[in-house]
Amino acid sequence: MSDDAPREEGARRGLTRRSLFKGAGAAAAAGAVFRSLDASAKDDVPAGPRTQGPGKAKLTLQVNGQSREVQAEPRETLLEVLRLPLDLTGAKPVCNRGQCGACTVWLDGTPVYACSVLAVEAEGRKVTTVEGLGNPDDMHAVQSAFVEKDALQCGFCTSGLVMSAAWAVGKHGPDLSEEQARAACSGNLCRCGTYPHVVEAAIAAAKTAKKGG
Amino acid sequence: MKAFQFVRPRSSTEAAQGLADSADARVHSGGCDLLDRMKERIEEPAVLVSLCDAEGLGDVRIEEDGSIWIGARVTLAQLAESDVVRRFLPTLGEAAGLAASPQLRHRATIAGNLAQHTRCGYYRVKSFPCLKRGGDSCPVRADGGVQDTAGIFGNAACASAHPSSLAPVLGSLDAEIAIRDAKTLRFVAFADFWAAPAKGRASDTILKSGEVIEAVRLPARDAKQHVGFAEIRQKKAFDWALVSCAVRYETDAEGRVTQARAWLGSVAPAPYRATKAEAALVGKAVTDEVAVKVGDAALADATPLAGTTYKVQLAKVALKRALAAAREKA
Repeated sequence: MSDDAPREEGARRGLTRRSLFKGAGAAAAAGAVFRSLDASAKDDVPAGPRTQGPGKAKLTLQVNGQSREVQAEPRETLLEVLRLPLDLTGAKPVCNRGQCGACTVWLDGTPVYACSVLAVEAEGRKVTTVEGLGNPDDMHAVQSAFVEKDALQCGFCTSGLVMSAAWAVGKHGPDLSEEQARAACSGNLCRCGTYPHVVEAAIAAAKTAKKGG
Repeated sequence: MKAFQFVRPRSSTEAAQGLADSADARVHSGGCDLLDRMKERIEEPAVLVSLCDAEGLGDVRIEEDGSIWIGARVTLAQLAESDVVRRFLPTLGEAAGLAASPQLRHRATIAGNLAQHTRCGYYRVKSFPCLKRGGDSCPVRADGGVQDTAGIFGNAACASAHPSSLAPVLGSLDAEIAIRDAKTLRFVAFADFWAAPAKGRASDTILKSGEVIEAVRLPARDAKQHVGFAEIRQKKAFDWALVSCAVRYETDAEGRVTQARAWLGSVAPAPYRATKAEAALVGKAVTDEVAVKVGDAALADATPLAGTTYKVQLAKVALKRALAAAREKA
């Protein structure tokens, strides 16, 4: 948001040591960054805001009920970290701009675009991918209903649509209406146009669900 | 995206300090727009100062004086579902609930919605020249320029349009923006929050380096005031507004308007206050006929490009629909 501010003379990229002594608040603010920029000055710096990167650092993510450790840079999105180091390839990279829905996962139980969340932000939060919803031997009601209702063609959007539909089923339970199902899936694009079957599958799955389940 | 350092202040004051201390930092919150810009490499900040761990920015609350305080990090999904918003600010909840998609509404924040940059396709693609990115001219205005997202007001130098559909609602409700720097918290009237396009100025707000939006504050609203919102777009869901409109008015005992606010979105580089619509409303009872005259008055000064003449009519229709909604909604 500071896009247009004049660049301060002599200011360097990143926070500076000078900031440390600007005031009480500033002293607290700059500590951690200061340490990461200037290893020679590990004096009595009070803990400031946590900083990560720009290089790789250890992250601990809670994914599908398991604690997973990865090395990642702050610029790596949740989608990138899920797919490469964690090998969870259910969430698909398609537009990479939050415009298609193929990478939909749940963050603390609500659907988000994993391409638009930084992996570092997901620390300490519950991440659920389509792999965490069910597997071929033990499918979630929505996954079974997608098979039953033929709710996919090429399949590229499917894991994202399953996450959105399953969220709607969990939120609205057996009373899930067609309108609610459509609204819940409105952030997922399907090139093959399977939408009517997706909505049918969501409603069929909802009938077997308990509210909030 | 180019590599950056991710800083996680615990408060907005710490965030403001962090922004002030770096020559090349951006505020990060939902990241919906910022990360897209960084992926396109039209911005390559060295530092993101994230509000993800900052405390006290995620609440909607009613203050002692009846004003409503909406923390910077409140999401569009929270706005759409908040009881306080639904009861006291129904048009804000409506606009928030219609915006984007569920996935984006869970991430997009009220502050980011205001601070987002234009959707202009030339601005968004680095290989095109663009006034906002330091170029000499605006390609939208050139012969053969793609003008779909262009504005119809204030477009002499740059034909961008501010895309927020929440912004006209906040304008119509006389919102104030609470801005934090490292030392102070100040309040800026909604109309004064915007900066005109200029060469090299990507942002449309007055925010300076070292400033962060802390909240949006809405004055207590008399329950007798009428409010209405309308948005016109190509698709029913998951689409940007072609034009959005929010109105608010009060009437006397005879039903004549005594005071009015009318704001349009997606028509100018900043949310656009239609003062001529407001003037045309005062003293009249709001009927369909009056609404048509209000639309004509509001759009009389429009300067559409060849590719956006249709937006003049859309804006008139949006005003008419917002006024029709307001008649129902006290």
